[in-house]
Amino acid sequence: MGVMRIGHINLRVLDMDAALDHYENTMGLSRTDTDADGNVYLKCWDEWDKYSVILTEADTAGMNSIAFKVEKDADLDAFKKRITDYGVAVTDMPPGEMNACGRAIRFTLPSGHDMRLYAEKEFLGKAVGTLNPEPWPDETKGVKAHWLDHALLMCELNPEKGVNKVAENTKFMSEVLDFHLGEQVLVGPDGDIQAATWMFRTSTPHDIAFVGGPKMGLHHCAFFLDEWSDVLKAADIMAKRKVKIDVTPQRHGITRGSTIYFFDPSGNRNETFAGLGYLAQPDMPPITWTEENLWRGIFYHTGEEAGEFTSVYT
Amino acid sequence: MTKNVVTILDTGETYGCAREENLLDAMVRLGRKGIPSGCHGGGCGVCKIHIVDGTWRGKTMSREHVSSDEEARGIVLACRAYPSSDVTLKVLGKMKKAVCRERKYGLV
Ligand code: FES
Ligand SMILES: [Fe+2]
Repeated sequence: MGVMRIGHINLRVLDMDAALDHYENTMGLSRTDTDADGNVYLKCWDEWDKYSVILTEADTAGMNSIAFKVEKDADLDAFKKRITDYGVAVTDMPPGEMNACGRAIRFTLPSGHDMRLYAEKEFLGKAVGTLNPEPWPDETKGVKAHWLDHALLMCELNPEKGVNKVAENTKFMSEVLDFHLGEQVLVGPDGDIQAATWMFRTSTPHDIAFVGGPKMGLHHCAFFLDEWSDVLKAADIMAKRKVKIDVTPQRHGITRGSTIYFFDPSGNRNETFAGLGYLAQPDMPPITWTEENLWRGIFYHTGEEAGEFTSVYT
Repeated sequence: MTKNVVTILDTGETYGCAREENLLDAMVRLGRKGIPSGCHGGGCGVCKIHIVDGTWRGKTMSREHVSSDEEARGIVLACRAYPSSDVTLKVLGKMKKAVCRERKYGLV
């Protein structure tokens, strides 16, 4: 019952051909559909549903919406009631309004991000199938991303004005959608301002994260790789293909993942994220990082801001 | 490969930039701290400049950061502008601010 995992993300791109070259040839996703409006749908080889990324050509970059898959159709009614009771408006989406999906509900997070829940999406299958499968497919290109793993959304944080959309989102996600808090950063003179949170429904440390910034937006969406050696190889492929890398391979203290941050051709930040991190469970006590150790949490080795982590996002 | 000469009005510095190279990539080679090298894709808006003199060719850039009116006046994202002559530019917005950023709450 409840939310299972991140289902898909809809990204705005400035140039569709350049975006497709990136997501297909660098990331290794494959195109599974194009709709009448020109939106392109893609999936990773290890995913079984029809798509996890929707690309929409637009004159700005960023995220249009993010969707999570719930286990049962009836969950949608239960969530609709809980979200409405919490005071957030819910819109019904009939089957097919989200391409190849059953009915869905949509609402706006306290931070302003558009979120959707759905229970059904057309099944295509993993590239290796389900009968005596090989461990990985031969035909996948680029870094061979396994699946869309998580997204980090930037939320307005302005303690002087009493605005903290990180805390508001976190409360909503935990009280209404039953997400669990894996890790958090607490800042401010009294160490009580929730400036960033990592939340999960799967058994990995995060399926979504919220970080405070001057305005809402998309910080990054992350694709899963098996292990550290894949991360290094992925960085080689990006260098060969002249992808703009923001932060070279290293480890996050928070979630323990090994990472690369880089940008798609429209400036949307992507991440390749490897490793389980640790087994996250509903009864696991949340981990807290203090303001002095914030950068150690984000970039564990140097403990300093790297790249343009806080200043650049779409 | 002949390079156009780019002059940063704010600092008086100059650098070379070929026609097929964008103004940001070449500027980053100056190696000076404080040049915000963001997404290099015209999406994040961090590299906004004003080209006050010279001709250039632009690729698609986010309208969230540069209006078509601004673009017509030479206010562009450096990572999406390719010089076709010598160019004089001023740095704007975040480009300016990035150097003297102050934080009270860790992240903001
Ligand atoms: S570096 Fe992001 S718009 Fe130029
Ligand atoms: Fe991430």
